[in-house]
Formats: sequence, C-alpha cells, structure tokens
Amino acid sequence: MAAPENVLFTPLAATHKMLKAKMVPFGGWMMPVSYTSVLQEHKAVREACGLFDVSHMGEVIVVGPEAGTFLQKTTINDISRLQDGTGQYSAILNEHGGMIDDLIIYRIHHDKYLICVNASNRDKDFAWIHKQAGKAQGVQVIDGSSRWSQLAVQGPKSAQAVEALVGAPDVAQFRSMKYMDIMSLKLFGTDAFLARTGYTGEHGYEIYMANEVAEKTWRALMETHNHSGIQPIGLGARDTLRLEACYLLYGNDMNESVSPLEAGISWAVKLAKGDFIGRDALVAQKEAGLKKRQFAFVMTEDGIPRSGMELFVNGEKIGVVTSGSVLPTVGGAGGLALLDAGKAALGGAVEVDIRGKRKLARLVEKPLYKAKVKG
Amino acid sequence: MEFPVGLKYTKDHEWLELSANVAKVGVTAYAVDQLGDIVHVDLPKVGDTFDAGAAFGTIESTKTVSDLYMPIAGKVLEVNKVAIDQPESLQNDPYVKGWLVKLEVKGAVDAASLLDARAYESFVADGSN
Repeated sequence: MAAPENVLFTPLAATHKMLKAKMVPFGGWMMPVSYTSVLQEHKAVREACGLFDVSHMGEVIVVGPEAGTFLQKTTINDISRLQDGTGQYSAILNEHGGMIDDLIIYRIHHDKYLICVNASNRDKDFAWIHKQAGKAQGVQVIDGSSRWSQLAVQGPKSAQAVEALVGAPDVAQFRSMKYMDIMSLKLFGTDAFLARTGYTGEHGYEIYMANEVAEKTWRALMETHNHSGIQPIGLGARDTLRLEACYLLYGNDMNESVSPLEAGISWAVKLAKGDFIGRDALVAQKEAGLKKRQFAFVMTEDGIPRSGMELFVNGEKIGVVTSGSVLPTVGGAGGLALLDAGKAALGGAVEVDIRGKRKLARLVEKPLYKAKVKG
Repeated sequence: MEFPVGLKYTKDHEWLELSANVAKVGVTAYAVDQLGDIVHVDLPKVGDTFDAGAAFGTIESTKTVSDLYMPIAGKVLEVNKVAIDQPESLQNDPYVKGWLVKLEVKGAVDAASLLDARAYESFVADGSN
C-alpha cells in the first residue's frame, strides 16, 4: 500500500519492508499489520513469544521536585502508591470527566516520571500536560516521543528473549521484576528502560530505547528465536490479543465523551486521593448513577461484530460495539460494547446488527481471556 | 500464486468454472492473499437468484469484510458447507475445496466481462486494482 502524505515511519521501517510485512496507516504512522497472518501471530504470542514494533507510542517525561504532586492532580490513579521503579495504569480527563487518554505512568525517581501515551494522542496529550504544568511550579515536561523507540516482547517465553539484552550486573534485578515494574539499563551503550508491562494479556516486557539502537535491539531479540520462539507480530494480532484480555483501545472503547467509570476502568480511579482534573464530574456521575456502561459480549450465533455496529434488546437499541473481532484463543467472536446501563444486564441476551441481520450474543464477565501477566 | 487455466475470472477477484449450464463460483488465490486469515463466509440460500454483478454474500478476514459479486446471472443450486464451517479452507484451497456456490446459469454469459487465467494474472500483477 502506498503511504499517505506526511505519514511517519518508525526506525524499523526498513526491517518491516525486508520482512515483507503488510503495512497500514495507523494513528498517523505506517505500521506493520501482519508478517505471516493475524491468527498465526496471535497464537505465537499466547504460546511462545512475539516481538512488536510499537515505536509509534508516545513518551512524555515529567521531571522536577513537584513532578509527583503535579501528576497526582492531573491523573486519575494514586501516584503516592508508586515506588521508584514501578508503574501504574492511569488516565487524564477533561473537566467533564471524559477521557483525553489512557496511559501508563512509571516512577523512575521521586522527581522523574515516564509516561507512555497513545500514538494517535501524543501531540494532544503533550500539549495538555504541558499546559497544566505551565500553571505549576517545580515541574518540567519533556516530549521524548521523537527520540525514543519502543519494542514490546510478549508471551510465556518473553523473559528468555529479553534476558539476552540484560548485562550480567542487572540480571538479578531483571529476574526479580514484578508486573508493572520498570528498570534502567544500557542498550548498546545508550540509556534505556525496560518495563514488565504489555497489551496482550501475557507475561511480557516493553523496552524504551534511543532510536539509534532500535534496529540493533530488534536483531538481538530475534537472535534468541531458537530458544524463545520469538517472531515479529503486527498490529492485527496486537488488537485481537488486547481485545481478548479486555484492554481498552483509545478511539474505540473510549474517547473524550466517555468517563473512566463508564469505560470500565473504575479500579484505576482513586476518588479518595484528593482533587484531580475531572474528579468533580466523576463524583457527580457516580451519585446520579451511570447512564452507560461497558460490557464484554460473545456471539452465540454466527457473524463477526465490528466497532460501530448497534446492539438491541427486544427490538430496542441499547448501545454500540466499540471493539469487535474473532477471538482466536477464546474461540468464536465477540468484543466490547458501550450500553445503556439501565437496559443491559450481565448474562443477558442481546442482538448485534451485523450488516442488517440481527445475530444473538450474550453479555459476559470481563475479561474474555484471563491475563497471565503476573505469572 | 496459482490461477488455473480452465477457469474464468472477474476483476472483482471471483473465479467461475463453467460446464454446460452449471457454474461453480469462488474467490481467487489473489483475493485470499490480500484478505489474510479468512474467518467468516456468508452465503445465500439454495434457490436464491442473482443478476450478474450482484452482491451474493460476504467474505470476512480478521480485519475486513468484503462483498462477493456474481460473475454471471444464475440461480443457486448448492452452497458449499465446508466453506461456511471451515472458512480457512478458502485459504488452503480456494479453487477446489473452497468453492462457494454452484449455479444454474440464467441467460447468455457475457464473455467480454470475464478474463482468462493469463489476462487475470496480468490484471493483478498490474497492481492497479
């Protein structure tokens, strides 16, 4: 496919071309959607190990003596729970409680935080965080996105691949990493970060490194293929993997008119920590009762749901599919839907309008696939 | 990529096997390759009739849904259950196991609208589709 104008390429563009990846535009970038096939790649991550170029993701660094206080007032989760070398899932909201983005915040030191943001939102997020910081003292916000690349290594054998990058003095620390931990390391003489996080529901790692060493790091990881089974994975399988684990995708499952309570991530909302931007709106929403809520569903008739398709109960429209797909590991097809909270019930039957045909589905407990990230 | 010589092809990437007034219809290896993993196929019922060029079903990969178009006018005599129950059979064998519908041909076949294997191969190699 020809690249649209002004599109961005990651430092691994030549590698993807050599591997004959199918490329698609995504969030302003040309990214690999698959190398072999989505289903084969999905299986490889569930059973062995996959390597993802996720350099399109944005990185924002917040530094200064007031960095923690600043983030406490601008994000939904409780920053005070973070120790050096740990991270948390969070989000930034507008004044109406709508989600500007979801993100992961890592505390590197008490005065230095690394934030990983969505590719499609990086300019918007940086501008927003920068604007908020402008009102605060003792905080500096740096956009690291153009200098940093990011690789994700995911799957039950991911530790075997990633350990090849870790120098002897750091191996003990690497092996003791828990889910959501982050450590500093040197990659080919440059400063890098290694986090035990991911977007697949498997044990895995995300590596932040300078653009200059991205290709070398990719190659070093691929050289572990014989014992880790590592293979390149595109965004196609990344999407089916994350959907089974019920991880949200910005732009599909949430946007600026959806609150984190409605989007099903209330576990990350810490109303008791004190004031933060959007908190008043969330409190009001909670008191009034949620009008819409996110549900997971699986199809009980044939057909594949896609985002934007409408859901019905007794002929009445109750909401829309926000993400839908085949579910390769779970089996069948299903997804996530944002539904009228008063008219949808867990375990209930619903109908999905698939190109004019109503097909039966059932609302089920989340997640569709139980993540193995902690094992 | 294989394009069997005995078949006729359309620019919408269907193939057609004509014998007397019965025709078998499927999708080409090129279409299958472009779509990626095929996960769902929706086909008409026996007895349904279609004009040439009419959409008669859909073929769905992990990422996209595409309409299927009739190469000729006809009435559905048989639907391939294997294609519905095991959509991956289209991938492995689009011309034999992966046929989609069998038709009773209605009216004259517009030969000018169909390509032979060589013409279809150069059409897809052209990359302008």
